[in-house]
Amino acid sequence: MKLIPLITVILLIYTAALPEDVLAQQRFPAPEFESGYELPDVVTPEPRALANEYADVFLLASFLLFTSWLVIKKRSRKWILWLSVFALLYFGFIRNGCICSVGSLQNMTLSLSDPVYAVSYTVIAFFMLPLIFSLAYGRVFCASACPLGVIQDLVIIRPAKVPLWVQKSLGMFPFVYLALAILYAATGTDFIICRYDPFVGIFRMGAEFHLVILGISFLLIGMFVGRPYCRFVCPYGALLKVTSLFSKRHLSITPAQCIKCRLCEDSCPFGAIEKPTPDKLVSKIKQRSGRFMLYAAVIPLLMLAFGLAFSSSHIFLARAHPDVYLAHLLINEPEVMQDTENLDVQTFLGSDRTMEELVDSAASIQATFRTGTWLAGAFIGLVAGLFIISQYIVRRRTVFEPNRGDCYSCGRCMEYCPVEK
Amino acid sequence: MDINNNIKIAKRTAVVAGTFCLFISLLLLLNFIQMKSADPLESEVLETLVQRLSMEPGNEQLKEEIRQFDLMARKAYFTSLWQVRTGGYLLLFAAVILVTSLRIYHSLISKIEKPEQDEEPDDFTARTLARRWILSGTAILIFLALLAAFTLTDPIEAYIASVEDTEEPESEVERIEITDAETRTEEPEEEEVVVVEEIAEHTTPEPVAEEPEVPSFPGESTIKENHNALRGPFGKGIVYHNDLPTEWNGESGQNILWKVPVPLHAFSSPVIWDNKLFITGADENQRKVFCFDRHTGDLLWEATADNIAGSPDTPPRTTPDTGLGAPSSTTDGNAVYSIFGTGDIIALDMEGNRIWAKNLGVPDNHYGHSSSLISHEEKLFVQYDDLNRGRIVCLNVLTGEIIWDITRDSGISWASPILAGVNGNYQLIVKGNPIVAGYDIETGRELWTVSAMAGEVGPSPAFGGGLVYAANEYAAMVAVNPVSGEVVWEDNYYLPEVSSPVYGNGYLFIATTYAVVACMDAETGEHHWEFDTEDIFYSSPVVAGNLLFVTDISGNTYIFETDSEPNLIAKNILGEQVYTTPAFAAGRIYIRGEENLYCIGN
Amino acid sequence: MERKKTKSRREFLVSSVRFGMVLALGGVGGLALKSATKDQWVWQIDPFKCSWCGRCATHCVLNPSAVKCVHAYELCGYCDLCGGYLIPGHSDRSTAAENQLCPTAAIERKFIEEPYYEYKINEDLCIGCAKCAEGCSAFGNGSLHLQIMHHICVNCNECAIARVCPSDAIIRVRGSEPYLMKGDFTADGE
Repeated sequence: MKLIPLITVILLIYTAALPEDVLAQQRFPAPEFESGYELPDVVTPEPRALANEYADVFLLASFLLFTSWLVIKKRSRKWILWLSVFALLYFGFIRNGCICSVGSLQNMTLSLSDPVYAVSYTVIAFFMLPLIFSLAYGRVFCASACPLGVIQDLVIIRPAKVPLWVQKSLGMFPFVYLALAILYAATGTDFIICRYDPFVGIFRMGAEFHLVILGISFLLIGMFVGRPYCRFVCPYGALLKVTSLFSKRHLSITPAQCIKCRLCEDSCPFGAIEKPTPDKLVSKIKQRSGRFMLYAAVIPLLMLAFGLAFSSSHIFLARAHPDVYLAHLLINEPEVMQDTENLDVQTFLGSDRTMEELVDSAASIQATFRTGTWLAGAFIGLVAGLFIISQYIVRRRTVFEPNRGDCYSCGRCMEYCPVEK
Repeated sequence: MDINNNIKIAKRTAVVAGTFCLFISLLLLLNFIQMKSADPLESEVLETLVQRLSMEPGNEQLKEEIRQFDLMARKAYFTSLWQVRTGGYLLLFAAVILVTSLRIYHSLISKIEKPEQDEEPDDFTARTLARRWILSGTAILIFLALLAAFTLTDPIEAYIASVEDTEEPESEVERIEITDAETRTEEPEEEEVVVVEEIAEHTTPEPVAEEPEVPSFPGESTIKENHNALRGPFGKGIVYHNDLPTEWNGESGQNILWKVPVPLHAFSSPVIWDNKLFITGADENQRKVFCFDRHTGDLLWEATADNIAGSPDTPPRTTPDTGLGAPSSTTDGNAVYSIFGTGDIIALDMEGNRIWAKNLGVPDNHYGHSSSLISHEEKLFVQYDDLNRGRIVCLNVLTGEIIWDITRDSGISWASPILAGVNGNYQLIVKGNPIVAGYDIETGRELWTVSAMAGEVGPSPAFGGGLVYAANEYAAMVAVNPVSGEVVWEDNYYLPEVSSPVYGNGYLFIATTYAVVACMDAETGEHHWEFDTEDIFYSSPVVAGNLLFVTDISGNTYIFETDSEPNLIAKNILGEQVYTTPAFAAGRIYIRGEENLYCIGN
Repeated sequence: MERKKTKSRREFLVSSVRFGMVLALGGVGGLALKSATKDQWVWQIDPFKCSWCGRCATHCVLNPSAVKCVHAYELCGYCDLCGGYLIPGHSDRSTAAENQLCPTAAIERKFIEEPYYEYKINEDLCIGCAKCAEGCSAFGNGSLHLQIMHHICVNCNECAIARVCPSDAIIRVRGSEPYLMKGDFTADGE
C-alpha cells in the first residue's frame, strides 16, 4: 500500500497538516452563482463591551467608598439601605451576577495554579477591592455592594436570635467551604461556589430546578434568620471576616461615648453585637488559662488529623473532576461502553483519546488532589483549632460594640443609639 | 389609630401578595413538571408518525397529521416558554410586594415591643457549648472524610496494576521458553525430518511428546483449509476451495451473507482460521486487532496493541495511503500475530488474550511499514526492510524471542515474504530492492539471490510450478529457479506496482495500476492475453481451482478462467473501494472494503 | 495605666497583623497581575470539537439556550438535498413539516437558482439542539454549527454547559475574538 508518485505524497503530507475535519467536511464545492446572489452576512453580536466591565469596577469602587463614608462618617442606615437596593438591582438583576467578588476568588486561585489561565483585570479588581476596603473600614462590601448579601438583607422580616454557640460552631463551615472551593478551583475541577450559588438563578431568572428551590429556601429562611448564606456558607465572607477583624476603622454603634442603655442589644439580626464583658466570665476564663495552652498545643495534632483524614478521602473528592469520574466509571463498570445512551462514554469512545490517556490524566489529577487535600485538611484543622482556643480568649469590654468579624456594617444598630454627637 | 390602620393595610397586602406568590409558584411548578414529563419537541408520538411515513411515503393523510401535530408541539413549546418567563417576572414582582409589606408590618408592630430581659444562657456556658460543638463538628468532618476514604478504593491504581500484571507474566513465559528454544536448536535434524514428513504425507503431525505444554502446529493440509496469511496459505495467492460464489452485488445485496462496518480503518487484509476472521485497524492513537465470527459477522473480541515496551509515544509519520495498519496478520490456529507501523508486534491467543508483545524498533519508512507476517511452526517471519537497512527477523511464536535476525543486501521494501516448499523444505522467499532471495527458515542463511528489482518494491513474490516469480514496476518480471538461483526467463512488458503476481495452473497473472489484467505462460513468459478493466489494482489476484479472482480499487471483482484465453466469468460490484486482498473459505469470500467487511456466499 | 498598656500593645499587634495582610493581599494581587490580561474571557464552542450531543439546548442556565446554530455560508454547498434541513428518509425535498429536521422550524429554506438553495437560521426560534449541525456534518460540509451568542449569554463564571459537555468543546476565549466561526477557521488553515 504505497507507491503513489512522489508529488502526490508531498501533496498529501502538505494537506495532512491541515485540520483533518476541514478536509473531511468539504464534501461539496461552494457553488458559483449565476443569478448574482451574494452570501448573506452571519450575525455575530459582540459580547459585553470592555468599557462596561471597567465601568462595573468603577461602580463597585464608588459603592464601597460611598458605603464606607456612610458607615463611618454619615452614619445613615437609610442611605445604606437605598444604596444596597440599587446594588441589588444593578449587580444582581441587570448585570446578572457574574462576575462577582465571591466567585472571583476561584478565578484568582485558578490563575495562580494554572499558568495558562490569565485572569482579567476586572476579576482582580473585583477580588481585591472588597478585601482592601474591609482592611480599612470593615465589611462594607457585605452591607451594600454584594447582591447576594443584599437580597438576604432585604427579606429579613423578624429575625430570630440564633444561640451564640450555634452561631459560633456553624461559623466554621465557611472556612471548610473556602478550603474546598480553593481545592476544586486550583485543580481546575470546578467552580463550586458559582455552581451552587443559590441566588444567581434568581438574578438571571433561570437556573436548574434544584438551585431555584435552594435559592427560595434560603430566602424563606432568611426572613427569620438574618443572612443565613452570609453567616454560615459564604466562603468569601470567611476571608472578609479575617480581614475585617484587623480593620483600621470600623462602624461603631454609638457616635460618642456608650452609655450602656442596652437599646441596641437586640437590634442586630446577625448577632454581631458584643456586650460589655461580665467580670464573672473574665475570672472563669482566667481560671482555665491552662485549657487554652492545652488546646493551642493540640492545634498541630488537629491539623495532622484533618490532613490525614482529608488526604485519605482524596479519591472521593477527586471524583468531581470529569476525567476522574469517567475513568472510574469505565474501569468499575466496563459494560457502560455498550450503553449507547451514555453520551459521555460514547463521546469518549468516539474521540481520539485512548483509555491510557484518560487513566493517566485521572491518575495525575488524583495525585494533585492528594497534595491538595493535605493542605486543605491542615487548613481546616488550623481553623478548627483557632475557633476552639478563641473560646478561651476574653477581652475586657466595657461598652457595646460590634464584633468586627461578624458585623456586615448594615448600620441597623446605629438607629437604636440614643447618644448624639 | 393611624398606625393600626397602616398595620391592617400592610397585613392585607402581605396576605394578597403571599397568596399570589403561592399561586404563581404552583403554576410554574406545574409547567415544570409538564415540560419534564413530556417535552413537546421530543415527542415520541411525532417520531412514530414520521417513522410510519418513511414506510409509506405516499400517505397524504399521515403527512397532514404530522403537520398538525408538529404545529401543536411547537405552539406548546413556545407557549410554555412564555409562561415560564411571564410567571417568573410576576413571581418576582409579587415577592417584592410581599417582602415590602411584611417589613412595613413588622417594623410597625415591633415599635411596641420592649427590650427583652436576659434569659439566655450566660456567656461562659455559651462558650463551653460552642467549644463542644466545634469539637463534635470536627469529629464529624473527620469521620465523613474517613468514611469517604474507606468506601471508595482507588480503581485507577488497581487498573494500572492490572495492566502491569498482564505484562508481568509475559516475561516469565519468556524465561521459561528460552530454554525451550535452546533445546530445540539442539535437535535440528529431528525438526527437519518432521517437516519433510508433513509435506510428503499431508498429515497433521503428532505433538512433540517431551513438551506437552507446547501447542501443536498445524500441518500443510490444515493450513490449506484456512486462509492464514495475506494471499492465503503460505502467502502464495493460491487457495484450495471449490464451490466459491462467482456472482454477487454489494449494492443490491445479492449473495452478501453479511456486511459489518470495519471498526477501525487500515489497509491490512483479513485472515481466517476455522470460524474466526481477523483484521487489524490502526490510527495515530490506537492499534487494534479484531476477531469476527466468520459465519455471522459478530465481533467476537478486539485487542489493543498498547503498553508495549519500546513502542514510540508518538507513532512514526506515515502517509494516508499506507497508515499504521498496512501489514496483514497471520495465524497458526494457536495464536494470531499482528504487526503495526509503529514496529509493535503482538501475539494474541484465539480468545484475544495477549501472549506476548514487543517492539522491533520503529521502522524508518516514509510511507509506513507494510510487509505482512507469515509463520511456519514456531517461527514467525518479519520482513523488516527500512531506509536504514534490509532486515529479516525470525521470532519464536510462543515467546516473541528472536530466533535469528539478519541484515541483508537490500534497501527499503513494502513487499511481503512467502513460503515455498523446495525439495521437501520450506524456503522463505523475500523480495527487496534490488534483490529477490530465498532464505533457509532455520538459520536465515541466504540460499540464493537474484538482483533484478528496482524502484519502490511493493508486490510480493509468487511461487508455483517450481519457480519463483517476482515483478516490479520500473524493473522487470523474473522467473527464478529456487534450487539453483538461476533466472529462467525475464520480461518487462506487464509490470505490477502494488498488486502481487500469482501462479495458477501453468499461467502467471498480473494486475497493474494501469487497469490491465495480464496472463502469461508461467514456464516461458509468453504473453497470452491482456484485459482492460475499469479501474486500477491494489488488491492482489488469487487463484482458486481454475478461477482467478481479482478486485480493482472501485470494488469490482473480475473472475477469469485460468486459461490461455481471456475468459471473463463474471464482474461483480461491491459498491465501495477495496485496497485489500480478499480472504477465502469453503464457499465464502471475505472482502474488506474501505468501510465495511463483507461475507459473500451463495 | 495597666489597661492603657495592654491596649496599646493590642493596637500594635492588630496593626502589624493588618500590615501583614496588606502585604499578603498585595502579593496575591501582584502574582495574579503577572499573568493578567486586559481582555475579558467569554465562553465559546469550538465547532471542530463539538459532538452535537444536544446538551447545549438543555443545560444552559437560560431558557431557551444562549447557544444557537449559525450558518457559515461560505462553506455551504447550497445543496437541494440538505442533511441539516431534511430528516433522513424524508418523503420529498420540501419545506413541509414532515420533512424538516429542526424541531422548531428555525431553518428557512429559500430557492436561489437551479440547483441551489439557501438555508437561513431564524435565531429567535433556534434552541441550539444541534440536530441540524449533526446532519450537516454527517452528510454535508458542516457549515451549520453551534455558537454561543454573546448578546444572549450572561457569561457565567462557570458555564453550566461546559461542565457537562462530553467533548470539552466549550472553552474560554478572549472577548476580543468571541466567535469561532467555521468559515474563518478554514481561511486560517490555508
